[in-house]
Amino acid sequence: MLSEAFLLAGSKVRLNMAEDLNWAVGGEAGDGIDSTGKIFAQALSRAGRHVFTSKDFASRIRGGYTAYKIRTSVDNIQSVVDRLDILVALTQRTIDENLDELHEGSAIIYDGERSWEADIPEEMSAVDVPLKSLAEDAGGAIMRNIVALGAACEITGFDVEYLDEALEKRFGGKGSKIVENNKEAARLGQEYVQENYDLDLDYNLETTDNDYVLLNGNEAIGMGAIAAGCRFYAGYPITPATSIMEYLTGRIEEYGGHVVQAEDELSAINMALGGARAGARAMTATSGAGIDLMTETFGLVATSETPLVITDVQRSGPSTGMPTKQEQGDLNMALYGGHGEIPRFVVTPTSIDECFWKTIEAFNLAEKYQTPVFLVSDLAMSVTEQTFEPDAFDMDDVEIDRGKLVDEDEVDEWLDSQGRFRAHANTEDGVSPRAIPGTADGAHMSTGLEHNELGRRTEEQDVRVQQVDKRNRKVETAKEQEEWDYREFGDEDADNLIISWGSNEGALVEALDYLEDEGVDVRVISVPYIFPRPDLSDEIAAAEETIVVECNATGQFADVIEHDVLERVKRINKYTGVRFKADELAEEITEKLSQEVPA
Amino acid sequence: MSSQSDVRFTDFKSDKQPTWCPGCGDFGTMNGMMKALAETGNDPDNTFVVAGIGCSGKIGTYMHSYALHGVHGRALPVATGVKMARPDIEVMAAGGDGDGYSIGAGHFVHAVRRNVDMSYVVMDNRIYGLTKGQASPTSRSDFETSTTPEGPQQPPVNPLALALASGATFIAQSFASDALRHQEIIQEAIEHDGFGFVNVFSPCVTFNDVDTYDYFRDSLVDLQEDEDHDRHDYEDAKEVILDGDKEYQGVMYQDENSVPYHEQHGVTEDMSEIPDGAPEDAMDLVREFY
Repeated sequence: MLSEAFLLAGSKVRLNMAEDLNWAVGGEAGDGIDSTGKIFAQALSRAGRHVFTSKDFASRIRGGYTAYKIRTSVDNIQSVVDRLDILVALTQRTIDENLDELHEGSAIIYDGERSWEADIPEEMSAVDVPLKSLAEDAGGAIMRNIVALGAACEITGFDVEYLDEALEKRFGGKGSKIVENNKEAARLGQEYVQENYDLDLDYNLETTDNDYVLLNGNEAIGMGAIAAGCRFYAGYPITPATSIMEYLTGRIEEYGGHVVQAEDELSAINMALGGARAGARAMTATSGAGIDLMTETFGLVATSETPLVITDVQRSGPSTGMPTKQEQGDLNMALYGGHGEIPRFVVTPTSIDECFWKTIEAFNLAEKYQTPVFLVSDLAMSVTEQTFEPDAFDMDDVEIDRGKLVDEDEVDEWLDSQGRFRAHANTEDGVSPRAIPGTADGAHMSTGLEHNELGRRTEEQDVRVQQVDKRNRKVETAKEQEEWDYREFGDEDADNLIISWGSNEGALVEALDYLEDEGVDVRVISVPYIFPRPDLSDEIAAAEETIVVECNATGQFADVIEHDVLERVKRINKYTGVRFKADELAEEITEKLSQEVPA
Repeated sequence: MSSQSDVRFTDFKSDKQPTWCPGCGDFGTMNGMMKALAETGNDPDNTFVVAGIGCSGKIGTYMHSYALHGVHGRALPVATGVKMARPDIEVMAAGGDGDGYSIGAGHFVHAVRRNVDMSYVVMDNRIYGLTKGQASPTSRSDFETSTTPEGPQQPPVNPLALALASGATFIAQSFASDALRHQEIIQEAIEHDGFGFVNVFSPCVTFNDVDTYDYFRDSLVDLQEDEDHDRHDYEDAKEVILDGDKEYQGVMYQDENSVPYHEQHGVTEDMSEIPDGAPEDAMDLVREFY
């Protein structure tokens, strides 16, 4: 049974193994898997190699199975693949969980002195390293994972010295002794393999002089928020959104801002709303049930015309679902959530660097149009780290547009005959002037009740219609004034069109290589704006086949597309809780293209 | 912006006529709030009032200042956000007993703990007025209403005790009809360095025939006249707050050593001021990821 599994995996191997390495460390939660993986990822990045990481983890603090996976190449990479070359296994389960990704050339590093007896398929290289004993020699058993990193360096032909900088970064705060011990542990692991094994594996990890930065999507959102001038963040911890809050904590203060942990998401969004009413660029972020609670306030944000960025890092639902698993199931929530009709924008970054830029754009849209902006990311993007040239985040390119924020002089233009500020003035473009507290003569009330230009409650039919139209007109104005473009990859003239949103882009782009090998030409359109969204009628009309790819069961974006073009599309849906992989996606696309379009 | 000397309390009054029932306690409650705001040197352009939902929630319309009338129960979170982003602005939250002690009870506990430098005025009429007479969290156990024909048969929430248990630094109670004392107490809440909480008896003349003006006039004990009560003494506070036999007005408790949130957490900047582009040293954020 074992051999069948790995042979299947082996058949998928197409990448040049010398250039493209897939490495993982796995064990139980609490084994330090994350930090071990991160150290190796940073070392590879410092060596000028591209890195793309992913995590298998469960919603528990200790026990279970958890793994940190790294794909590395000298070329740019943006997806995971179904292949594992080197596995550091701290438990048997780590091996069992990954059997379908391991192949005959794989090497498994494990500690034979530990109580479990490793059951490793004989076709693979079993590298038994006394991790614990060597770690003790270096100064403490706690460093056994670092010994394993040293062993991995030897197997992959990667200079163990590259680990040093990452170890300094990780342990520098704990004193030079700890750092030196860890460096020693890595060397003991490397030497042990060098002396005891003569592996004939074709790995020789090249290095380059490139300087890359390594970050995940949530860090990119947090950094984008600070760059965009966000100074107030209110949130309630929830996986996988919490790391945005953790990123901002300790950093936003340097720029005069503050992060507050609210008592729940009902409070978090209202605090953020308060910050925005007071004139700050404000944000909240959540996931899962947190976005349900926040729904209560969506309408208020819109009717009070408050600029607010609401970030939803989607995870598997419904209800508590699979809290640590990937899904793109909240699109309908973002588009339609809340009672009544709520003008809004829905922005869906498609890659980690785009998480940064779209966050900045979200803040500009919020202030220019004084309405809620949903920034919808997902778990896969939030935990995945990827290398970029630092210029991918060039702060000189950050533009800030605060919209119709009026100062004391400009307020006068917007007073009625009795000197009252018309905070909800019925303007041609739908956008009213915005006065923030402290602006003389700008005092006004805003409310969730239907109101007139002054913010006073009304149920007069003509005023109601005027205000609804005015708020909706902002979206129409934005449709005309802003770019709602898509990102495009592959062959522009191909008969086959693949449409995707959110984090699937990377896997699709890499799938293009596989498809090209199979002789399948495709055009990929990756959509970062769902509302308003680019009009894809011409593109769909020009294609013979259209497939919408998304991580949910019902095809929420496919529904939207079909509604737009009044035509059926094919769908690829994945809702296993795991993101798309490039090779798997290529296979599915090929298969789907040969099927009939549903009636 | 006007200076302290030329602000009159009527500046805080909007030109909108209240639609509260004639005789409603909320008239007196609001007058005291406006007078207290003017008396403490604020003006409408540097004041932010956050109103809840209910009869009391209409206060945002009848007063003139920067204001938000939000979602039921969430006045305190909004007020918290305003004050954190703009420590220079005077922030007051106002709502009713349903807004504060039922749907918003969770926020009340945490706003008290957080001790943000703002005031919170609860117009407590022990009834749901706007929905025409259902039991509120402060309704008496035997108070018969359309939804509780036998009375709620649950003890009413003691908001003062809830505040004390949550670590409040200022707990007071006033009576809308005792205009001068009410105004003084609100003023003290505004001036308090931290979260100034005032539960105001604000009778509902339409739906509550038990907790009436006459009832409060006859039963209220003013702590100001009680020489034995030391507002800085926690035990004294506990005694009056847990006294189920009497109704009190006055400041029950004030922590002399109150450290407001902004001092505790160093939140002092006007967050509305941001540069035209990314902050000058923002590339440092990128370099952190090397």
